[in-house]
Amino acid sequence: MSTVDTGERRRSGESRPVITELIDGPTIQSIAEDAWTALVGEDEILMPLPGELPGNVLSSWVDVVGPWTGTVVLTTGRETAAELTRALLGEHAPAELDEEDIADAFGEIANVVGGNVKAALPGPSALSLPDVGEAPAVRNPADLCRVDVLWRGEPLSISVQGALPALPVPSQH
Amino acid sequence: MTLTATSFDWVRALVHKESAIVLQPGKEYLVEARLLPIARQMGIPDVSQFVESVRSRPNLDSNRRIVEALTTNETSWFRDGDPFTALTSTVLPALLAARGPNERLQIWSAACSSGQEPYTIAMLLEDALPNAAGRVSITATDLSREMVERTKAGRFSQLEVNRGLPAPMLVRHFTRAGTEWEVAAPLRRMVTASECNLATALPRMGPFDVVYLRNVLIYFDLSTKQAILRRVRDLMRPDGWLFLGAAETTLGVDDSWERVVVGRSSAYRPLKGA
Amino acid sequence: MRALVIDDSRAMRRIVTGILEGLGYEVQQAGHGREGLDVLDGGWLPDLVCVDWNMPVMDGLQFVSAVRSNPAWRNVTIMMVTSESEHTQIVRALAAGAHEYVIKPFTADAIRDKLALLGLLPQEVAL
Repeated sequence: MSTVDTGERRRSGESRPVITELIDGPTIQSIAEDAWTALVGEDEILMPLPGELPGNVLSSWVDVVGPWTGTVVLTTGRETAAELTRALLGEHAPAELDEEDIADAFGEIANVVGGNVKAALPGPSALSLPDVGEAPAVRNPADLCRVDVLWRGEPLSISVQGALPALPVPSQH
Repeated sequence: MTLTATSFDWVRALVHKESAIVLQPGKEYLVEARLLPIARQMGIPDVSQFVESVRSRPNLDSNRRIVEALTTNETSWFRDGDPFTALTSTVLPALLAARGPNERLQIWSAACSSGQEPYTIAMLLEDALPNAAGRVSITATDLSREMVERTKAGRFSQLEVNRGLPAPMLVRHFTRAGTEWEVAAPLRRMVTASECNLATALPRMGPFDVVYLRNVLIYFDLSTKQAILRRVRDLMRPDGWLFLGAAETTLGVDDSWERVVVGRSSAYRPLKGA
Repeated sequence: MRALVIDDSRAMRRIVTGILEGLGYEVQQAGHGREGLDVLDGGWLPDLVCVDWNMPVMDGLQFVSAVRSNPAWRNVTIMMVTSESEHTQIVRALAAGAHEYVIKPFTADAIRDKLALLGLLPQEVAL
């Protein structure tokens, strides 16, 4: 691999903003709060406090592709995801919730939060369909904005993470 | 939670009487959450005690604060529709015919809250008139400084712009600002916002061609309602138009107004010689 | 009055259906744009369609264009209900022929207010 510094990497680096230049924790928090008060219940509160996620967690996420490209990931304990599903469905919740109900509801919440995060970023951007399962890995710790909250005392995290690994530092000559 | 059933029922009755809004059973948590800050401001540690103190010593200001705390999420754009469509269909053409070409029309939004009402008016005028900003001034007033600041800023959340604002108007008259939507600069320039307490002597304003005094008289007793209507009338043109809230009327309060049907709502005009 | 609710999320279909049934609508559901068109092709013409944007097979924007290009369906009012909330997206939706646009997250009141604007609130509920 060539080690000549043509400046190309530095210039392309300037057009690749990291998420912390574009959005902050309180903004993500307020997007999530709006989603919870409108869809889960107007008295719902998300306390901006860290909590320890249990061993058995579930994540849902949507991808954003645009001037910034990355993923908006929601992660919480499986029990909490089930409780959230029940709260979202309200009177329409079936007596027994199955995996599909939970994946569907938790995925939709990622769609709602992700869509609004996307709209707060420079656009135009495309939004993927939601996916549910084990969270995609953080590719670049410097391109990450994460908010940890407690919902009804249970931990939930919202992570806005860049898709691309960090640019290698150009070598000095 | 301390709210007793009796207290909750009293609050429900008050809110229904003053705003026609029904608080369903199960909303006790909402009442508790919304009234606790007010109770604390008054040095009362819990909501039931606060409610009982207001019940035992009726206090219009407390009533108003209770009702507002429980109904502020009712603020929407084009609230009740007709009083705003009436502006472009009936009122504006009549005023333009009656006034000279260089005369500025003056409109007053007399309980502007977070700004939805004055900006609803601004959008309608912007769409109806070439050079609306040159022809119309909108004065927006509210008792609360916080509401006046919100009106000046002209910024609204996603949830707020979802409430009764036609999407074509959203895209034409707003730009995104982070997670919020901001009213376009020309419309913000049309609106001047300031604090004003309707229950006291009013500053020199107007004279207004149109006044929107909606859902505010309900908070006052009869003699104060009459005083407010007198003060408002004094700031209006003799051929001006007054719009009240959907459940409100001057009937039985002040007989110096003529009720005029406009679409499916009413407007009130100063009676000549009254 | 009839409404068709199109969203790939079953939870969201249930929520919107619940709101519309509460307002007096008879509601059918579809999981994406193509299924929605199948309902219309089958002769069941709704007064109102609430349609999401991002869905598999056929997205909401394509659905809107398809409905608006068919003269037989000109009396169908289309309201997009979606988390897509960039200014340019809303313009695209309205330009494609959507009549109204509700941004997710929404409350039941938000849907009700929009229907009132469209004159699609069954009369008994409007009082």
